[in-house]
Amino acid sequence: MSDETRKKQDMTISHHEIKPGSMPPNASISRKLREFYDAVQEEGIPDRFLDLLEKLEEAERNTNSVKVK
Amino acid sequence: MTMTEIDDRGFKRDLLASLPNLRAFAVSLTGRHDKADDLVQDTIMKAWANQTSFTAGTNMRAWLFTILRNEFYSQMRKRGREVQDTDGLFSERFSVHPEQYGRLDLQDFRKALDKLPDDQREAIILVGAAGFAYEEAATICGCAVGTIKSRVSRARSRLQELLGVSGEGEFGPDAGHAAITSRAFGG
Repeated sequence: MSDETRKKQDMTISHHEIKPGSMPPNASISRKLREFYDAVQEEGIPDRFLDLLEKLEEAERNTNSVKVK
Repeated sequence: MTMTEIDDRGFKRDLLASLPNLRAFAVSLTGRHDKADDLVQDTIMKAWANQTSFTAGTNMRAWLFTILRNEFYSQMRKRGREVQDTDGLFSERFSVHPEQYGRLDLQDFRKALDKLPDDQREAIILVGAAGFAYEEAATICGCAVGTIKSRVSRARSRLQELLGVSGEGEFGPDAGHAAITSRAFGG
């Protein structure tokens, strides 16, 4: 494939790209499902869970040091 | 530093890495963020207390999902005995502020997802969004692989019906369905 043909193909592909925010009416269920799921995943880890893990670790450290004594 | 301390660090690191995915699963199951976070908290505590029962090197994500799922259903059963009102539980899922449904364009999808039976919802989430193979999803749900496949397929049909869209997509490893559809309607 020549460089020129490839360039033309690239242009055709970009031409068909879906604009952000304009969901076609027949958008697949699977894509919506992943979008919904990923939106929650991207919220990251709430601080309460980081604090909880810190506390659990600390509690474990204390128990262990008691055992050593 | 003892070996146990090194292992603990690995455990915490892997747990943290799985948390966003685990939390998204909890939101999918409960239908709301506040309940989901309580469920995740219970799961973290259970997992921490039982970390000796986790075999290092095996799939921690699947292990955590199994704990969360068991916790969810045992809490549902407890609540069911207290309330004895499934209609109440159902309407509770919808009595949330709009922002709890997240992004506006996904609210319709979220509502449709909420209308699925629990077993179908969890199957399609595990395979279609959380990234598990059918076999792993079957282990997490404690059922046969064939059961997961049929639940996913029923969930997909129901969602298409509810949202009035054509299903050109496929879920997870099962591409057969979409291929048949496009052959039948492709002309």
